[in-house]
Amino acid sequence: MVKDKATVVVVGGGATGVGILRDLSMRGIDALLIEKLDMVNGASSRYHGLLHSGARYAVKDQEAAKECIKENTILRRIGKSCVEATTGMFVQVEGDDPDFVDPWLKGCAESGISTRELSKEEALRLEPNLSRKLKVAYEVPDGAIDGFRMSWQNLQSAARYGGRYKTYTELIKVNIENATVKSITVRDNVTKEEYDIECEILVNAAGPWAGKVAELAGLECNVSPSKGTLIAFNQRITNHVVNRLRKPSNGDIFVPHGSITILGTSSITIPDPEDTSTSWEEVEELMKTGVGVFEHLRDYRILRVFAGSRPLYVPKGAEGGRNASRGFVTIDHEKEDGLKGMMTICGGKFTTYRLMAEKFCDVLAPKLHNTAKCRTAEEDLVPEVSEAEKKAARQYFPSYGVNLAATRLGVEKFGDVVKTLKEQPETREVLCECENVTMAEIQRIAAEPTSHCVADVRRRTRLGMGTCQGNYCAIRSAAVANKLFKNKFEGCSDSLSDMKNFLQARWKGITPVMAGKTLREAEMTRGMYELLFNVNGGRRG
Amino acid sequence: MSKSDVVIIGNGVAGLMAALVSADEGKKVTLLSYGAGTFPLNSGVIDILGYDEQGKAVNSPITGIDQVPDSHPYKKIGMAAIEDAIKYFKKTVADEGFAYTGSLKEQQWLITGIGTLKPTCLLPESLQGSRCFDASEIVIVGVKGLKDFYVDMVKENLAKELGADKKYTTITVDTYITGRDLTTRDVAKWVESDKGYGEFLAQIKGQAGAGKAVIVPQILGTKGDYVVYKKLSKDLGCTVVETTGMPPSVNGIRLRDVLLSALKKKGIRVVENAKAEKAIVKGDKVTAIEAGGEVRTQTYEADKFILATGGFYSGGITMRDFGEYKEMVFGLPVEGDCVEERWVNKQLFSDKKQAFSMAGVRVDDSLRAVDESGNVVLKNVYVVGRNLSGYDFCFEHSGNGVALTSAYKAAKA
Repeated sequence: MVKDKATVVVVGGGATGVGILRDLSMRGIDALLIEKLDMVNGASSRYHGLLHSGARYAVKDQEAAKECIKENTILRRIGKSCVEATTGMFVQVEGDDPDFVDPWLKGCAESGISTRELSKEEALRLEPNLSRKLKVAYEVPDGAIDGFRMSWQNLQSAARYGGRYKTYTELIKVNIENATVKSITVRDNVTKEEYDIECEILVNAAGPWAGKVAELAGLECNVSPSKGTLIAFNQRITNHVVNRLRKPSNGDIFVPHGSITILGTSSITIPDPEDTSTSWEEVEELMKTGVGVFEHLRDYRILRVFAGSRPLYVPKGAEGGRNASRGFVTIDHEKEDGLKGMMTICGGKFTTYRLMAEKFCDVLAPKLHNTAKCRTAEEDLVPEVSEAEKKAARQYFPSYGVNLAATRLGVEKFGDVVKTLKEQPETREVLCECENVTMAEIQRIAAEPTSHCVADVRRRTRLGMGTCQGNYCAIRSAAVANKLFKNKFEGCSDSLSDMKNFLQARWKGITPVMAGKTLREAEMTRGMYELLFNVNGGRRG
Repeated sequence: MSKSDVVIIGNGVAGLMAALVSADEGKKVTLLSYGAGTFPLNSGVIDILGYDEQGKAVNSPITGIDQVPDSHPYKKIGMAAIEDAIKYFKKTVADEGFAYTGSLKEQQWLITGIGTLKPTCLLPESLQGSRCFDASEIVIVGVKGLKDFYVDMVKENLAKELGADKKYTTITVDTYITGRDLTTRDVAKWVESDKGYGEFLAQIKGQAGAGKAVIVPQILGTKGDYVVYKKLSKDLGCTVVETTGMPPSVNGIRLRDVLLSALKKKGIRVVENAKAEKAIVKGDKVTAIEAGGEVRTQTYEADKFILATGGFYSGGITMRDFGEYKEMVFGLPVEGDCVEERWVNKQLFSDKKQAFSMAGVRVDDSLRAVDESGNVVLKNVYVVGRNLSGYDFCFEHSGNGVALTSAYKAAKA
């Protein structure tokens, strides 16, 4: 049954998909994005959140380096609410190859990336946790970017131009007539309902899942998922992004985000993009390399380990993994395979998501006789919350959490939340002390049509994602779920399951690092929930 | 500093118990404390053994103890010491006016802050949950602004445990305290005050009455004296039941205060903010402990040392990297099954014990650490509580039980 139609349907709610939705919408093209789960559940949130300056690619891939610095500059301007302009450092410690420095400097200069040499003293003054074995340090314009916020802000921007999006909507069939895509069949993963969406062009932007989407249309797309494992530390170990100045390898990059630091990554080719498992060996490899840069690394508490799959596109006969190109391809299936009305975008990097969308839509738009120019670099993703509004909010809100809440909520929802806080004092309850999330914010996000369960709210608000990793808010979130989502979503049905599922989702990232201070934390989690609350139930036998 | 007979390191349940028993043995005792102990995180009820090896509820702790494997601390402590330890504890708290109910023979049940039932062995009367099993109506009292006690959640889970044939009602009282979120301790202070008690009573009285049971968070006063509990039970004319809850645990703090009061009466020296850092060893004996204070390191000499530093949980044992165990004061050998496939269960709330939770110091029947060949490492050092290997305090609900009974045994040795 046909229930919906759009000129273009974009499949995939990662950085690539949201970038395309925004670009198309700003060109005046009617577009709808579908995502099989919640937004940004793949590589766009499962990575280190580095806004590349391009310096990492300066030696091997100058084209990528040039793209990065250009996009870096644009994103700093249009994405003030999701970018933290930290600046970055490239460092060498004893034992690193000194001959790598000159070609790297040359590559940066040729790519237009500014570098500034720091004396050892200055580097250590700026980043006192750096290893005393530091030899060389340069400053570059790297930054940190929040994948969740960036993606949601792209969606908000697209929505202002009529762009639409549906979460928990999975493509299950591509309906083809006369070698032309006519419509798609999707399944609503919440209601299990299946229905058709008519479209003129289907865009496959499914990242590491692009091969599976292509298969549904009877095509081949040789994407090779490459798993990267990352470690999140409980402290802000560094204020700069810190890169190892050497040929890019595993465990080279530290990126600070708010109160935490992320160390990444590995690169392992895997058959299934759903595989986000991690092992002691991967963790140890990252730690061993990381200790070279921050020598006290093993004394910091690890919050969790996570992994995601890069969507590396491998042309037939080419090499995958670390040596595969980080570039992207646009495939017009009409030209390549004789199937009209379907295009695939594959590969690429988070930092250049906007440029990828621009180039892709430059090919797509003419097919629809649309001649509008790309405007995505000209306009801010979202308007900023004004200082006056923030000041007003501080009366009802934990003051130090105001900035964060403003950037994650945006003008409209921030206004709503502050109004609720003002009018209903009981909603001032802070459910998550780590990330300063109030009941009012939870209620507001829960009311969004894309929120079906606590996990959705968690990703939007950061409830339970901070330093306590859900220890204190699992019970609160279960209570909220009970109130707000009862019977709305499978799995959000009884408070004990909600609480267990909430903590289990955290546990997955904790198990591979059950050592050091993480071990203490785990004893506490179990002490509270298994012992004090006996969540496994009472008179079982 | 003058020499003691016994130095006890740690001020949790095990440390305080070891100090009391040692003092009763006529010993001169010094207790080194660092931090608040685990009491604010501790239910303050004494679990002995809630669930067996298969995770099945144990109806009689004493029978359950019989069936634990030989590697379990209870087997080393022995039934006689366990029984004596329970008697000793019950007398100590009763003498302080905070009598605990329950015995080794019959499991007790309390109601948790989310409405599930939890098995335990000894507990304050105000937490005795089975008293409401026969009530016709359960009245669940929440407090406005109090986090972590959600009346709807308690109702949902309690109805599953006690049956849907009872009537369940919920009410939420107002403390008239504004401007911030409340903890149970805040509310307990409010209920303890004359004004607060009056306001509290006025708001719930209409709902209570004969045949009903009133379920409240841990708010019936901050002290272990039953004053508020008895008064409220009388004024409402029905059963009143407190629940366990999130930290800060009011009942854990009540138990700490009661035990500290007993300690004080016995003249035990408690040194605060003294982190035991190093042992001075002569041959196979320890002669003294060096402990860091605010300004300088102090040496504490004794004939006997009891290590109650709380395992991984309290930093008594660390594992900086996989398999790199370290017992922080004496460097005692730690055993554990630190193998990737077994160290952590994939499920947090698992049907198996967690290997990481079973790691600890291996001891002999006298609770002294032994090496792999079974030889005692240090002849005058005894290991108690969470430092011991061979039990998963969460899976089996045995944490305070092992703490209490091992401390008793070590103090008597």
